[in-house]
Amino acid sequence: MKVFKGTIAALMLSCGFGVSVQAESLSGTLKIFSDMANPAPRAVMEGMAERFGALHPDLEIELTVIDREAYKTQIRNFLTANAPDVANWYAANRMKPYVDAGLFEDVSEVWADPIFADLASTKGAMTLDGKQWGVPYTYYQWGVYYRADIYKELGLTEPANFEEMKSNCAAIIESGRKCFTLGSKNYWTTGGWFDYLNMRTNGHDYHAKLTAGEIAWTDEGVRQTFANWRELIDMGAFIDNHTAYSWQESLPFIVSGDAAAILKGNFAVAPLRDAGLDDSKLDFYQFPAINPDVELAEDAPTDTFHIPSGAQNKEAAKAFLKFVVEADNQTLINNGANLGQLPVNAKSSVDDDKFLKEGFAMLSSNSPGGVAQFFDRDAPAQMAKAAMEGFQEFMVKPDNLDKILARLDRAAKRIYK
Amino acid sequence: MFPRPIEHSPRSWQLTYQAMLPAALILWLLPLLAVAVFSVKPDADFTTGNYWGVPSSFNFVENYGKVFFASDMPRYMLNSVLITVPTMIGCVVLSSMTGFALGVYKFRANLWVFFMFVAGNFVPFQILMVPVRDLTLDMGLYNTKTGLVLFHVAFQTGFCTLFMRNFIRALPFELIEAARVEGVAEWRIFWFVVLPLMKPALAAMAVLIFTFIWNDFFWAVVLTQGAESQPVTAGITSFNAQYRAAYHLMSAGSIVAALPPVAMFFLMQKHFIAGLTLGAVK
Repeated sequence: MKVFKGTIAALMLSCGFGVSVQAESLSGTLKIFSDMANPAPRAVMEGMAERFGALHPDLEIELTVIDREAYKTQIRNFLTANAPDVANWYAANRMKPYVDAGLFEDVSEVWADPIFADLASTKGAMTLDGKQWGVPYTYYQWGVYYRADIYKELGLTEPANFEEMKSNCAAIIESGRKCFTLGSKNYWTTGGWFDYLNMRTNGHDYHAKLTAGEIAWTDEGVRQTFANWRELIDMGAFIDNHTAYSWQESLPFIVSGDAAAILKGNFAVAPLRDAGLDDSKLDFYQFPAINPDVELAEDAPTDTFHIPSGAQNKEAAKAFLKFVVEADNQTLINNGANLGQLPVNAKSSVDDDKFLKEGFAMLSSNSPGGVAQFFDRDAPAQMAKAAMEGFQEFMVKPDNLDKILARLDRAAKRIYK
Repeated sequence: MFPRPIEHSPRSWQLTYQAMLPAALILWLLPLLAVAVFSVKPDADFTTGNYWGVPSSFNFVENYGKVFFASDMPRYMLNSVLITVPTMIGCVVLSSMTGFALGVYKFRANLWVFFMFVAGNFVPFQILMVPVRDLTLDMGLYNTKTGLVLFHVAFQTGFCTLFMRNFIRALPFELIEAARVEGVAEWRIFWFVVLPLMKPALAAMAVLIFTFIWNDFFWAVVLTQGAESQPVTAGITSFNAQYRAAYHLMSAGSIVAALPPVAMFFLMQKHFIAGLTLGAVK
């Protein structure tokens, strides 16, 4: 440990003499805790550690990979007791408890680096109290994945607004199919619907205020969102008995053509392709505008790296954070052979994949309203749970809306106080 | 009390029995069969909704290959062995000694000590979850195989002692008395007289404990996390990726995880049944 402090002191000294912190000057140990435990993400993480290590031969990198679910409970322990230098986590409200508790380091200084100009799309998600608390390394788009062959057969086109979405849907129902498959046994699937309907009805800022507890659930705007939702429910847009299926179990409906589309994140593409829907059958469109007065905004859940405030080697950790967001590194780790998601750096190139390209274009240029993280990441965990249960109930019994909203309002008063 | 042999019943009943038996068997084994069939299906069969049908392609080699070579399953299996075998040995060693002491020596607190061992079996183990977790954490044994082994040994020894003590009680006491008359030391009586006679009980108990511990899920989840210490029952969930669960691999993994106890059962069937009834009729 003494040697360690010595090196830090040496580092600071070198800074003091006006020598910029060069890559070679990093030494000591860099402890990284990661939740990228599945084979492909794990290889990505190990590859990053290796490449960063090659840049800094004097730096010893200790990488600990922890199962993603276990990580969610362990992080509370290790941030206080045995902090690594770099840790994985999620953006927006999911990092708020740790920011509020002073467990994450303010990295605004890292964000001052010119390279971060290319990360504007996710800056908002990393900002709390006007400061940045981590860096993103990957995200993915949400949107409507639909059966292009069914649309073609019925002579439909991608809807540009809610009216077209509904008229398309009416035609699909007419042909004996359902418009959307849904697996609301996983409550979060309804959270996606609420996010989009609310952001399209009231705008991203309203949505952000609602999930932050600044707008009441009984507000007229929320009611308007549910009124729009109800139009879809009443016309029979969703598959029957969706509460009985998990999201994976809801996929067979779109594969068989009993449902024409699904509102989902880009992770749905891989299983759908495996099941035989090639790019001629599966296509993507951005959720259409509902209220023409609000700007389009998207859900794009972002995964991040943070520096715990108890970190020992913060210089190396900051260098690692910069390394993570570099355009080349972003291109590499997000390509199809690795994470298969979207790079956060606008200068990165995206893999030659129809859906990734569309998503990248959509998030980089057609999401002027902002980027949300997803309902269960934007709202506090307790509120997200109560609300998503309410959404599911609403989808089955739309007449209970008043009761549901009153319940959510009570929950909000308890949770946000 | 014992079921009458089927040959003694009327022909009509025999026929009904013969017709019902396969039906009951299929109903009983359906979930297992489904898992077995699913373990050779490709991933896409889940997404296309082919849950019960014929596999769209036969992926035995791919799926089981992945389980063995591209996942942490071998590691989890090894953990299971490293947890189960020491527990088995620990329980057998401890309980044969406690059983000997409680079965052979007549001292005042004998019955009460014995009751204490037995009473442990009546405690629903779920209520121990939080204290045991805190205890292992304080002792620095949380998330280690040692911690799990120590707990299992401590908890299973109660049951094993009951088992062993009753078995030793049933042995002819004259043998021990004869040895004492010859002036044989007590530990030599244990080692050369009682232990050889206990062999069937030891075998039966080892088989029982093996299946108990191998199939334990609860404590594996409570006391361990991660591939370095978790046994296979808990490790199967590692096939759940961030976004989706690989049900075909989970099925293949379950089959692999279930093989050792099943093999144990068939190889040691005699002892297993002896173990279930031993001590039941004293």
